[in-house]
Amino acid sequence: MARVVDEESDEGLLLPPMSEQEEWSDVVPIPQDDGRHPVCPIAYTDEYVEMTDYFRAVMAAGEVSHRAFELSGRVIDANAAHYTAWVYRKKLIIDLGLDISEELSWVTEISRRHIKNYQLWHHRGALLVLLLDPKDVEHESQDQRVQDPAIRNELQFVSTVIEKDSKNFHAWSHRQLVVRSYGIWDQEMAFVENQINEDVRNNSAWNQRYFALTANQSADEFVLSEELADREIGYAVDKIKLAPNNESPWSYIIGLLVRHAPAMLHERLLPKINELAADTDYALAVSNTPFYWSALVDIYEERAKALEGKERSDVEAFAIEACDLLAKRYDPVRAKYWEYRKQALQAAS
Amino acid sequence: MATQLAVDSHARYFRICLNGLPRQMTSLDAARMTFVQLCLVGLTALGKLDEVCSAEDKRQMIEWIYAQQVLGDGTELNAAYCGFRGGSLFGPHDLCDYVPANSANVAGTYSALCALLLLGDDLSRVDKPAIVEALRCLQQDSGCFAPHPGTTERDPRFIYCACAISAILDDWSGVDKDAAVEYIVSCCNPDGGMTQAPFQESHGGHLYCCVSSLALMGRLDAIPDRQRTLKWALQRQNGGYQGRVNKPADSCYSFWVGAAVELLGGHDLVDAAQVSAFLVQCETRFGGIAKFPDEFPDPLHAALGIVGFTFCNPDGFPRMSPTLLLPESLAHRLGVKAAKTTSG
Repeated sequence: MARVVDEESDEGLLLPPMSEQEEWSDVVPIPQDDGRHPVCPIAYTDEYVEMTDYFRAVMAAGEVSHRAFELSGRVIDANAAHYTAWVYRKKLIIDLGLDISEELSWVTEISRRHIKNYQLWHHRGALLVLLLDPKDVEHESQDQRVQDPAIRNELQFVSTVIEKDSKNFHAWSHRQLVVRSYGIWDQEMAFVENQINEDVRNNSAWNQRYFALTANQSADEFVLSEELADREIGYAVDKIKLAPNNESPWSYIIGLLVRHAPAMLHERLLPKINELAADTDYALAVSNTPFYWSALVDIYEERAKALEGKERSDVEAFAIEACDLLAKRYDPVRAKYWEYRKQALQAAS
Repeated sequence: MATQLAVDSHARYFRICLNGLPRQMTSLDAARMTFVQLCLVGLTALGKLDEVCSAEDKRQMIEWIYAQQVLGDGTELNAAYCGFRGGSLFGPHDLCDYVPANSANVAGTYSALCALLLLGDDLSRVDKPAIVEALRCLQQDSGCFAPHPGTTERDPRFIYCACAISAILDDWSGVDKDAAVEYIVSCCNPDGGMTQAPFQESHGGHLYCCVSSLALMGRLDAIPDRQRTLKWALQRQNGGYQGRVNKPADSCYSFWVGAAVELLGGHDLVDAAQVSAFLVQCETRFGGIAKFPDEFPDPLHAALGIVGFTFCNPDGFPRMSPTLLLPESLAHRLGVKAAKTTSG
């Protein structure tokens, strides 16, 4: 009986069952032993049963061969979460000295069906650094490195995935791996800006902005200068204008300043958002979003820490008022939270 | 009247899943142990486990779970591979010379131990020293854990499994807690959220794994800015909970984010009625809960949705531990403290 092996391939490749293939005649398949009372058994297809029976046999024998390699690919495509199949496949690639570029092409091919599978992305990352050892390109300029076929191909793959699913967590994570492994930081901010221009609500891209800005240095080395802070504040405010009720730019700029320069929240961010809230083109939309009021709570609360006496309680009073507005008007789903923040502020003042 | 769950339909759904899953779920084959655990978690949270599973059913399930155990053979060769496999897909382990073919997985081990406890087993047949030794082999210099040998995967999901396993076995000698805490702190983002590796996007699932690991290690104080983390978690509520900023609400985050909120002391700050209403929208008429309204259910979203629902509607349900997916009473017997229910 002929069966369709790869339903999605254009050729509709037809092969007889493995038990009828000469190539496999020397292998005694090992059937699954699920005991007398299996729990959550899966109604496998006959093809899956047969390929995993043979796969158990070759793995048990520790067979290092091209047919084992081919079979691992079929098993993984049928069940991409088969964690030992990936380990075995990687071992076969190394032991057989197979072409890693070809393997990456295979991963690209099957990734269409398994784009959210963790093992696939880790396999890809592990092979990439075998294909191109980061040490081998250390002496090159960043411009030269991004022209390296292996790196170019990898960035292209990630871009293709992000084009289809702009928030694919694995793709963004993989992109960070490539940028960090090969030290190709210069082009990252431009990529991020393109992605934010495509979708200003893409929080994965906003996160990558923080990565592009700070991850090239150790946490102790990174200094948020006033110029850099102003540039980032300006960028965030411009994007807030496009869609005031978008959490990403608010959370990006507040997080950046809270972590690296808390005093600038009050000194440099507050004037900009006050300006925005006073601009007749944006005033209504901005004052209607909970993120504006929430930013004020954060800014005033941080500011109060640096003050004492009446000055302090005046600033805290602004924060308390913002909490009240959030609880009653702008963010009712979190009314209890804003009440709680308000009480904490009242207890402090 | 408070929102109600279709308790009997869901109990029937989990019973059907324990009996068998459709071929479309073949991609779960390597993680069957987790799906067994989830079905039992769902039934336990509904208070229906004893009604749906007879003593004989439970005995048979316990046997199936133990059949997935990779025992220590006293050699170093085998040390990293011990624990429980994700299912029977890999092969009869006494038949294989090639050890990695049958390696256990920390997720399989964690799920198996929880499932055994839910079924009333006393863990007397668990090879505890071998599991503790495997954890020691799997922890990395970074403090993070690999799920099994031979992979470059490392993230807080496996730290969580290692912590839960250590808490259940009451033996922490396989985990360097300081190193694990240091890794988790490196995953805390400026927005207050947590993620899988430094600089990656804040994510509700990883938030749960990080916060729950810290709770199990007694180190919640290590969170750099706990108020901001609590805020990030509460900010995920948009009707139901979303997993990331600007993503749609998804039923499983009623557990991942909901449990993190519990552990951070925010139980009283949630709009429980809206979470419950969203979960009811994700219920399907014949039982089970889907990821989103109007989709097909699966055991993960069903079990986690139900536990998330019980956090919001504690009356009439057994109280589930936010750290271990076990009843609070059982977790307490294991020495894991109940989460504080008041904010602060």
